[in-house]
Amino acid sequence: MSVSEKKLWTAWSRFLTGLVGAILIGFLVPILVVVAVSFQSKSYLSFPPTDFSLRWYQQFIGNDDYRSAILNSMMIGASAAALATIAGISTALAVVRARAPGSAIVSTLSIAPAVLPQIVLAIGLFPISVWLGLQGTLWAVILAHAVIGLPFPFITVCGALTSYSNRIEIASMTLGANAFQTFRLITFPMIRPAVIAGFIFAFAASLDELVLALFLSSPSTRTLPLLLWEQLNFQVTPEIAAAASVILAVTSLLILAATLLPRLDKDN
Amino acid sequence: MKHRSFLLYLPVALLLTPFFLAPMAVIGTESFSGQHGVGAEYVKVVTDQGIRTVLYNTFYVAAMVTILSLLIGYPIAYVLARLKGRWATIGIFLIFLPFWASTVIRSFAWMILLGRKGPVNSILLGIGLIEDPIRFIDNGLGLMIAMTYIMVPFIVVPILNGLRAIDPNLPRAAAVLGANPWRQFLAVTLPLSMPNIAVGCTIVFVTSLGFFVTPSLLGGDLTVVSMLISEQANRLLDWPLASALAIIVLLLTIVIFALLRLSQLASRRRDKARSGVFA
Amino acid sequence: MLQMVSRSATTAESRAAGGAAVSIHNLCKRYNNFEAVVPTSVEIASGDFFAIIGPSGSGKSTLLGMIAGYIDPTAGRIVVDGRDIVPEPIYRRNIGMVFQNYALFPHLSVAQNVAYPLKIRGVAKHEIARRVRESLAMVRLEAFASRMPSELSGGQQQRVALARASIYQPSILLMDEPLGALDKNLRDEMQEEIKRFQQELGATVIYVTHDQQEAAFLADRIAIMRDGAMTQIGSPRSLYEQPKSRFVAEFLGEASIFPVKTASGKLTDQTCRITLEDGTETVIRTGEDGGPGRFACIRPERITIGPKARGLANAYTGVVRESLYTPGSIRYRVELKDAGCLLKVRALPQHNTEVFETGSSVDIGWSVDDMTILAE
Repeated sequence: MSVSEKKLWTAWSRFLTGLVGAILIGFLVPILVVVAVSFQSKSYLSFPPTDFSLRWYQQFIGNDDYRSAILNSMMIGASAAALATIAGISTALAVVRARAPGSAIVSTLSIAPAVLPQIVLAIGLFPISVWLGLQGTLWAVILAHAVIGLPFPFITVCGALTSYSNRIEIASMTLGANAFQTFRLITFPMIRPAVIAGFIFAFAASLDELVLALFLSSPSTRTLPLLLWEQLNFQVTPEIAAAASVILAVTSLLILAATLLPRLDKDN
Repeated sequence: MKHRSFLLYLPVALLLTPFFLAPMAVIGTESFSGQHGVGAEYVKVVTDQGIRTVLYNTFYVAAMVTILSLLIGYPIAYVLARLKGRWATIGIFLIFLPFWASTVIRSFAWMILLGRKGPVNSILLGIGLIEDPIRFIDNGLGLMIAMTYIMVPFIVVPILNGLRAIDPNLPRAAAVLGANPWRQFLAVTLPLSMPNIAVGCTIVFVTSLGFFVTPSLLGGDLTVVSMLISEQANRLLDWPLASALAIIVLLLTIVIFALLRLSQLASRRRDKARSGVFA
Repeated sequence: MLQMVSRSATTAESRAAGGAAVSIHNLCKRYNNFEAVVPTSVEIASGDFFAIIGPSGSGKSTLLGMIAGYIDPTAGRIVVDGRDIVPEPIYRRNIGMVFQNYALFPHLSVAQNVAYPLKIRGVAKHEIARRVRESLAMVRLEAFASRMPSELSGGQQQRVALARASIYQPSILLMDEPLGALDKNLRDEMQEEIKRFQQELGATVIYVTHDQQEAAFLADRIAIMRDGAMTQIGSPRSLYEQPKSRFVAEFLGEASIFPVKTASGKLTDQTCRITLEDGTETVIRTGEDGGPGRFACIRPERITIGPKARGLANAYTGVVRESLYTPGSIRYRVELKDAGCLLKVRALPQHNTEVFETGSSVDIGWSVDDMTILAE
């Protein structure tokens, strides 16, 4: 390869890197636009914003609908993620450690909710939710969201369990610890970062989910995405942008916590 | 020991049996319980012009979104795979940042961006590229842009994993044999990342088939199958038809993943056969 | 090898009479149609260092796993201190085990790792602290109590594993290739450490390894496993000097082994003549039936090379086919004249020892006691 040809390839490689960098930064633009329009005073969306005001934030804070929707979403998300995490941990233990029979089928079923279109599940769950008397209660949405959250803790915990040898647990048992003690003192501390990550993913999946909530909730159990959805279909005002900005800020903090917590955990 | 391992299945069984398996059974039976006789709903799905258009639209959008995601996602994964240390972390963080924003919010963002008087149209008008604002939201273009935006992280991750797993000595070996960077890419990197491209495309395609929020907000006159199912069930209360449509989507999902799995098994068998020749 | 010669083979046997710490009766493990361990019985005396060696897949780790309790035997009993432990779960067996990669708990400090079995047993806190201190002192790691396992070297991790597996005075101590992950120099050092540790504790140890040198250095008795069976059990010296099979002879040290064609008959009361397959005749000590289907085996250091060989009961001339000087010994391959057999020879280089070049003719020979007959 001649020198100039080499230079050409280096230039091309730099160009590609630059282009990808630009795309990645461009990915942030839609989100920044939402934040930008939230700080205007006009009652319709205009971009670029011409003035600065916190009017829509004030309205957002004073809006009881948002308050109850956020509360619902938090309760549903936390409960669903907790249920999904418990089921995910025990299934991962059965599949990876106990090598229980039927593990291939159980694994497939545990991952399936991640790829199955939610509308399919929603259509099937609605009659069951009615039949069980759950329709309109928080539990209807919690259980549905636990199902769609399950793949995340299942996958992360399976990954953590396969990352170290079961010798560690056998060692604990030769030292006198029974299965439960071994889980509490050895296995759980070792998979904790994966458990936390799985929980957060499941929580985020619940916070983002709209279709199941659309079918399974009542006005009193309305979730945040559902409220945003209704507002978008009704009348688009910058208040939605303000609400979205607050949600973005909170989720960003959550992710930051999710990425930093395991690291802090390791340092201790 | 042995009977106890089944106890570990208890939580997942309690969760999935009533809230995942039973719903599937319910839509299965519901889809055959229409007033017009057994199987009438499926006949309607196949023959009704309106429904066929919806199915066609869904496939068309999903296919376009898959192609666009691959075209944008592959270079991103390729560059990220070559980055090291902090820059790689930052890159992955950047790609996942929008991923954490809810789908409703991201779709809303594109409603603003692509609106008739939105920033994209203002810029295009400003630099004189167009004379009239583009009606992104009516022609399905906006939908595909927004869905691609949402799906790109899903294709970057598997491809990135695949590219990182490639032994860095392989492209070097190609270079020593006289291949320029482009030929190294064609001869080594691209073929070796093919299985991961297949995984990424499958995930994007299947997820796109089931999209509901974004098409509802940005689809304009375009209807996709999730919207049709929701409309049949919620507004028209035609549960048998909604269920039949849901079953079709479910079967499609299963078939697509089964095909992916089969192709993976076939290529693994081929590798084995090949290594057998040299053994 | 010098180690083996110097140790008396009888001490282990006399101790065995004192009472078995572990006795295994017809223990076996079958996976579908594959017998990983055929019914095996063996007694291990209290305070004995018992090594199990064999190639990979010979069933040695399966055997250890059944004793530890993480592999369920198909049949058989394992009696430890008078009770059959097979029906008991791992955590009630009171067995100490050191694993190949130590299996230290990565999220616990050195002291917490060592304290773990005592904590599980509900020992009082101050008592735990005292015993952990003592135990760490024994493996000379007092200064590392608050370190994490990942901050220790391989040898140090190994010592933590030893301390952890022994702090609750288990009935027996199992070790599964504990030195497998260490490099050569450290392995030699750790061998001495393990030996010293075992003697100080008076512990009964069952030690699995594929390294025959290691087993010979450490063990009072060695069992050689092949295809799921213990083919021969004995002291290192008896295994080396009186192997019963080709497999044992070749697995433990080097040997030249030849099929026996005919036993030509008794020469005196104590000697007889045999003919090897290539026609070479040699005189051996009577006692073994050297008939067809058996093998004659000779260790490389038992063969004399050079002029001194002329006076021996079996004296030949041969051609040096390969000559290699290695630290501590000179290795040859010598082909006997008028016969095809190729002998491995090892000579100790001393002052003025002549090194024979490849291609040169040499005198070579051995006495009647140097060749042994293998039954299979």
